[in-house]
Amino acid sequence: MKINEYLEKVKSKEISVVKTVEKILQEAKNSPNHFTAISRSYALEQAEKIEKNPEGRLAGLPISVKDGVCVKNIESSAGSEILKNYRPPFSATVINKLEKEGAIIIGKTSQDEFGFGGFSVNTKKIPKNPHDLARSCGGSSGGAAGFTSFATQPHIALGESTGGSIANPASFCGVAGLTPTYGLVSRYGLIDYANSLDKIGTIAKTVSDAFLGLYHIAGYDEKDSTSLPQKMLQEKKVKKIAVIKESLNVDKEIKDIILSKLKNYDTISLPSIKKYSLPAYYLIALSEASTNLAKYCGLRYGQTLPLQGGYNEFFTEVRSKYFSKEAKRRIILGTFARMSGFRDAYYLKALKARTLIIKEYKKAFKKYDILVSPTMPVTAPKFSEIEKLSPLENYMMDILTVGPNLAGLPHLSLNAGFKNKLPVGIMLTANHLEEEKLRALGEEVEND
Amino acid sequence: MKIGIEAHIQLSTLSKIFCSCPTSGSENPNTLTCPTCLGLPGSKPVLNKEALHQAIKVALALNCSMPTETFFSRKNYFFPDLPKSYQISQYEIPIGINGKLENIRMRRIHLEEDPGALIHKGNTTLIDYNRSGIPLIEIVTEPDFKSPNEVRLFLRKLITILEYLSIYTRKSEATMKADANISTTGEKVEIKNITGLKEIERALEYEAARQKKEPAEQQETRGWNSEKGITFLQRTKEEESDYGYIFDSDLPKIEISKSLQEEIKKQIPELFLEKVSRFKTQYKLQAEDAETLAAEKELAELFEQVATNIDPLLAAKWLRRDLMKVLHYNKKELKEIKIDAMHIIELLTLVKERKINDATAKELLIKLIEKPFSPREQVKKHSLEMLSSETEIEDMCKEVIKNNKSVVEDYKKGKQEALHYLIGQVMRLSKGKADPKETEKILKRLLQKTVVS
Repeated sequence: MKINEYLEKVKSKEISVVKTVEKILQEAKNSPNHFTAISRSYALEQAEKIEKNPEGRLAGLPISVKDGVCVKNIESSAGSEILKNYRPPFSATVINKLEKEGAIIIGKTSQDEFGFGGFSVNTKKIPKNPHDLARSCGGSSGGAAGFTSFATQPHIALGESTGGSIANPASFCGVAGLTPTYGLVSRYGLIDYANSLDKIGTIAKTVSDAFLGLYHIAGYDEKDSTSLPQKMLQEKKVKKIAVIKESLNVDKEIKDIILSKLKNYDTISLPSIKKYSLPAYYLIALSEASTNLAKYCGLRYGQTLPLQGGYNEFFTEVRSKYFSKEAKRRIILGTFARMSGFRDAYYLKALKARTLIIKEYKKAFKKYDILVSPTMPVTAPKFSEIEKLSPLENYMMDILTVGPNLAGLPHLSLNAGFKNKLPVGIMLTANHLEEEKLRALGEEVEND
Repeated sequence: MKIGIEAHIQLSTLSKIFCSCPTSGSENPNTLTCPTCLGLPGSKPVLNKEALHQAIKVALALNCSMPTETFFSRKNYFFPDLPKSYQISQYEIPIGINGKLENIRMRRIHLEEDPGALIHKGNTTLIDYNRSGIPLIEIVTEPDFKSPNEVRLFLRKLITILEYLSIYTRKSEATMKADANISTTGEKVEIKNITGLKEIERALEYEAARQKKEPAEQQETRGWNSEKGITFLQRTKEEESDYGYIFDSDLPKIEISKSLQEEIKKQIPELFLEKVSRFKTQYKLQAEDAETLAAEKELAELFEQVATNIDPLLAAKWLRRDLMKVLHYNKKELKEIKIDAMHIIELLTLVKERKINDATAKELLIKLIEKPFSPREQVKKHSLEMLSSETEIEDMCKEVIKNNKSVVEDYKKGKQEALHYLIGQVMRLSKGKADPKETEKILKRLLQKTVVS
């Protein structure tokens, strides 16, 4: 059932919200590790209220929330051990907006610790791909995309992308993942990975459902200073599209699937983006991440240890024990990039590269409405294959998604077909605030 | 000897710099806090515009150059009082650079948040985050001071300017915190976290003397033990850049437009130095009088109100010496009492017209700081007018001479103090109302005629 149909039936009381929520809670429980926390009693309580009085434009709609987005009184640990059992005293702005419209929060979905990864394996609860349980959902919003694919009941997932964490799992799980323009959706209540890159977005079975979610979470928020006062542009017409030349340097089958979805297109070369986006992304993201993670030192919230010795020994012990290997690697890399003597060569240079990348995109958007590429260079890998990847090979997987993320550009990944029964995602990127163009082309590709 | 300082001053905003928690109003620890100033995961900072405007005001008052755009950075270090393990501060482009106050150059002025406070109780340490997020400005001078005393005089002037800008309130000097760096013959030594002007001077004097005996061989950071009056080694100097600064991308760049600067400039009143020089030329005051009167905003205002109606020199004398003495003795601040300029004018007119003597005027002044009243009516009501009728004073003088034969004898032998004693006795007899000058004249005349038997 389409979400719009469901919402109408809730309004006319032709369908039971409680029964729908009960069913999806059961699915959440049965899902292969898609949830870190299921808010069963809270969700049912809301469902009963809304069934009696279906107020709000999303009345009765189940929402799953990526673990890093804070929900008041519900464990929000961003997939980390250091924040295990942390229950925030406040909800993220997006949660308040959705609940005001009658949406029902069913739980928190699994992810890589603090968003650090592309396969959701850097966490205790590793979500499995519904298309093949031996394979990864992608990451870092792995649980969100995995459950979107797995669920049969109406549902929208909230995801978050720093360098591709919505598009990547959407691609691997064969669903629609929408990452909006940076600043369009408030970050208030999102546990930070990299503040200049983090964006909350939506994942759903269809493009229109992903947009339905976005319409309700977008908007200026005075609690987030980087929140944009502007609204999404209304222009929907897609006149010219271009495929990014460098992105076609992938598996031939994937390339053919992508190109088969397009009718008229040009090819464009974006050399700076290919050359600089991956190193610039990692230097900026990790520099910011290493400062964001400094607050987790066992003193005020999250996991702790008995207080003994000096403060330095105490927080070192807490952080050594509860951060994963990947978190430690990223803290060390990020700290190095901003250290005196290296700051100019790495952190500041990466910021310059970012400006260059934005310029190259802006130039391309003078001519084209949408840029197209595969979302991922591969289909969902097996866990056994992921284990063999070096950290660098891991980071290389983000090559196609980091560009729009660095530039804060809206992008949509949707299913373009299958290779050996595994989903292949196509990624559409538009200029800032031109999400509606993504929708127009996305729906065309989807209905093709 | 070269000394430079970094002064930390709390701004006078009602709410904190990055959240809406109040800056005062509760003594209970951790009650003026929210997710943002506690650094809870997911919280975000939002700049308090008033803090920005106050910082701009200080930078303009100290003749700083100002960038058209500025931003915040994260200063990263681990300390239990720092909730996010980074302090939101400014690094590359501060609010103001290259300022000047008289002969002292200001390197930079920047805006930052205060961390919390550690409270040590026996073996345990508690943390109070009420202070976390209080807006501060840091003023960094060039090493332009040549003595610890110059530092103190400078800080006093700085405080006066901040008072004029309504940014600083002189509850106690304790709220002025500073780090000072001093180099004599050897390397530069930084003394961290000294509270209060006198302490800053003391610490620097100690350190100057210490370095004379043991010149610093490497840059180092020292602490100040106020009780023992000594500095002690904390660590060898860490460079600023070791804080791994990055831009705080939670806070967008801040535009400081010319029009905003102009608007804030208009709010800056005449400041201390300009006021001193105007007082000297307009009212012909001595430098010392002008400086004392200008040093306190309320006193300067009162003086100008009084000086428009009365001889400015007389007004200056009475306000800076007598009024200040009376206030100081009663442990009061001018700003906390209700004193009417008209009443001071009346009082000083009575003095000027020789209707009352100085002693009576001082008595009235003491009463005036308690509650307002008209001195003229008070004088009339209690007949406090000075006795200037010669016969009346002469009668009293005669009586005093008669009753103090041995003193008169001393006077005759050439003891001048004896005359002062006799004048005192006449004043006592007149209940303070006799004109002292007239009394002296009469006494001298009568004593000349008096024959000691």
